[in-house]
Amino acid sequence: MKVTRAAIIAALLVCAGGTAGAQTQPAPTGILPGGVMYELRPDPAQSAAAIALWYRAPSGGFDMTPVPGLSRLAAATVAASTPITGTPLSALVGRYGGQLAVEAFADSVAITATVPPDRVAATLRAMTGDYFSPVVTAPGLVAGLADSADDALLRSFGPDAIEDALGAALFAGGPLHDGIIGTSEALAEQKLEGVRAFAARAFRPSNAILILTGNVDTSVLSSVANRAGPAGDAVPEPSAAEVARPAPAARRVDANIAGTGLAWIGPPIADEASATAMDFLADMLFAPKSGAIAKALGTRKASVTGKFVTYHHPGIFVVTISGEDAAAARPIVDQTIAAAIKPLAPGAFAAARAAFTYHLLQQMDAPADIADTFGWYAIEGDPLYAPAEGGTQGRYFRLVAGLSPASVARTAAKYLGPPPAVVTLNHVEHTERRTGS
Amino acid sequence: MRSLAAVVASAAVVFPLVPAHAAATTVVDLGGPHAYVRTDAVASLATVDVFVRAGLDRETLEQNGLAALVAESVLRTPVAPAVGAAPIALTDAVDACGASISYAIEPEYVRFSLQGTPESIAAAAPLVARTLAAPSFAAPTLAAARIALGGRIADSEDDLRFVGMQMLRSSYYRDGAGLPAYGNAGSLSALGDAAARAFFAAWYLRGDAFVTVVGRTGPATEAASRALIAALPSGTAAAPSIAARPFGAEPKRIVTHRDVTAPYVAVGFAAPPIGDPDFAATWVMRSVLVGVFERGGATTPSPFFRPVGSMYAYDTAPAHFVLWINGARIDPSTGLGAVIALVKGTATKPLSETVLNRYKETARGEWALETLSLDERAAAIGNAIARGLDADAGDAVPAAISAVTVADVQRVAKKYFQKFDVALVIPREASGG
Repeated sequence: MKVTRAAIIAALLVCAGGTAGAQTQPAPTGILPGGVMYELRPDPAQSAAAIALWYRAPSGGFDMTPVPGLSRLAAATVAASTPITGTPLSALVGRYGGQLAVEAFADSVAITATVPPDRVAATLRAMTGDYFSPVVTAPGLVAGLADSADDALLRSFGPDAIEDALGAALFAGGPLHDGIIGTSEALAEQKLEGVRAFAARAFRPSNAILILTGNVDTSVLSSVANRAGPAGDAVPEPSAAEVARPAPAARRVDANIAGTGLAWIGPPIADEASATAMDFLADMLFAPKSGAIAKALGTRKASVTGKFVTYHHPGIFVVTISGEDAAAARPIVDQTIAAAIKPLAPGAFAAARAAFTYHLLQQMDAPADIADTFGWYAIEGDPLYAPAEGGTQGRYFRLVAGLSPASVARTAAKYLGPPPAVVTLNHVEHTERRTGS
Repeated sequence: MRSLAAVVASAAVVFPLVPAHAAATTVVDLGGPHAYVRTDAVASLATVDVFVRAGLDRETLEQNGLAALVAESVLRTPVAPAVGAAPIALTDAVDACGASISYAIEPEYVRFSLQGTPESIAAAAPLVARTLAAPSFAAPTLAAARIALGGRIADSEDDLRFVGMQMLRSSYYRDGAGLPAYGNAGSLSALGDAAARAFFAAWYLRGDAFVTVVGRTGPATEAASRALIAALPSGTAAAPSIAARPFGAEPKRIVTHRDVTAPYVAVGFAAPPIGDPDFAATWVMRSVLVGVFERGGATTPSPFFRPVGSMYAYDTAPAHFVLWINGARIDPSTGLGAVIALVKGTATKPLSETVLNRYKETARGEWALETLSLDERAAAIGNAIARGLDADAGDAVPAAISAVTVADVQRVAKKYFQKFDVALVIPREASGG
């Protein structure tokens, strides 16, 4: 069904009784008159606030030949570019004593500023100004390249590199296949025009989700309520299709880290019950220190991570194994995952569920963490399913309460029972030396 | 395409009841000791912190690591989560309740943090209280504690900022307060059950303890506060006053070698603690010192990619301030020379009002971002109480920063920043050169 933006706004007016531009208190979720979807979750007890802009955009760009890391580069470049009037966003947030982060995912990118309460309005105006009509300058691109190169380098030495390599093993095409991290060499080849074109297409109001959390005065929304993009900008980017391989592939790649990755295709976000069960399984198995695998590994010097990523379609379950004892850890990981298809005893299940609930809540502590949660679930198309929505009484945690040993075991058998895609990363001597100035 | 139906439906959600302003901290009498309670009605979790006056300054040199060994043993003590259930380590038992128990070793206090939903805190608090009343120092518990501490030591050794800071702390503080928080493998292996029992008996005393509570507070957190405090043996013990050797009294460079690719330099200065009239101006000075090295990047860099950064231990008196220089990002000699020129220049020539106002704004924001997590918020209240201040002393800091004058900054530059020690972390292969 095709629904126009005007129709959505009209529906919101009926449902919420007003818009953020009116004098009344804005609804917690809605669409601004300028066309921007927003999520507003204030907490005056916090000492700071987070302002986040999420965009649907593939990491590798919109062109036929993907350049992994392009979305992050473009977002960082806009942050460092001097707008027609004013100060680069990065400098402004720095002057406010705040923090500015850009994080790219396979098919989305997030820009998050954490600032003191008295600078929320100014930061919001600057962010929406900069990202609704993006300016990309040559000095901004230089700074964006340096920033993205650092990010790519840092991530290339950790589990992120293994997860990134798993995409190509699971999918024959799509953003996950193309990868997220990229290399500093490939990014350095990007020209101003290409970055500008990406920014113009990705960073549009109708493609944006604005999130405000923490110590934020709800009236700040009115100052940007009417900000709109260029004429004809009315349609958000669709989520890019992921083309699953008929059978998972085994791959070997050279990297800055040695390790093994395992991945399975999981349920889409729309299958909320299964997605919640997969989250539960990830925590039960891979929670640091308390998870089944951490306990099974004991004092072995292996770093093992595992998580379910709730993508629009499909979700993926990824496992990384690295460290000195990685080889010895692999069979333990395999056996522990395989055992998950057997229902837990009621007592153990209750304990695991209680622990899962806490671990998840604990990850939504600071304003930026909460903004991340709302941004992710909104961009993936299911904002009401966000764990931060409604706290422990919200939809997500009601689904957690509805999990049973049998339902979790069934989900494990369905999605983790088949053989995984496997990647082996061979460590090669890193030649790029960064010695600073 | 984004789920439009979901968007429309979500607009109908009733705005949650959110108080317009943050509540101030309230004080609850726990029968002698106090709980300092600050509610966040939006939070799902609460943190209950118990401050026990059994920190580093209770250790002798031979006992280094004992405060951590005792605290870690509390977490490793086997406890039966239910009647008839097999005992498991307290951390696991609390995890199974849907909560967490952790600790931090500070110069004066060990801070135990119990965090969870009100319901899970209600379930976990009796287990923690039972363990605090009678922790195990049996050989298996101590062995597990030593392994856990070994991990913490390795983590702190991996971060060169903390290596440099520890070198300077050891030089600055005269007694136990300057010792490494987790000891070292050698010292830990020499500490046995008798030492642990004696340390616990001597210093884990109710009369010296207090509680801070932040987040979704209520009957469950109050009951937990009472249970945890009541678990400690009654009594008080005289607290030593922490003494320091002024930095630069005998100018020195402390050197260590590590398997790193680039050197790290840490410069240590004496500094006023929170509550001191000079604190706000020193916090501004901190922003100046770090800010001049910022290069206009696209995002806020991680410490790994910063040329210069700082750590200000303002929660202890005497306090200290460490500026670190990342040799992978800036030539260490150039960086150190610039730092010295800056602190000397600030002492001799006042900053312009424009520059001061710019960094006051930065300093205010950086202060706000000091307490983002529940854990940081609970710790901040405790630090204020430990310094004899009002629980909400941190709330007054932004106004104090706004009131800082150029004369204030010049005064603190003269008073605190002209004498310093330098710690060098040098790549191992360069040590022979």
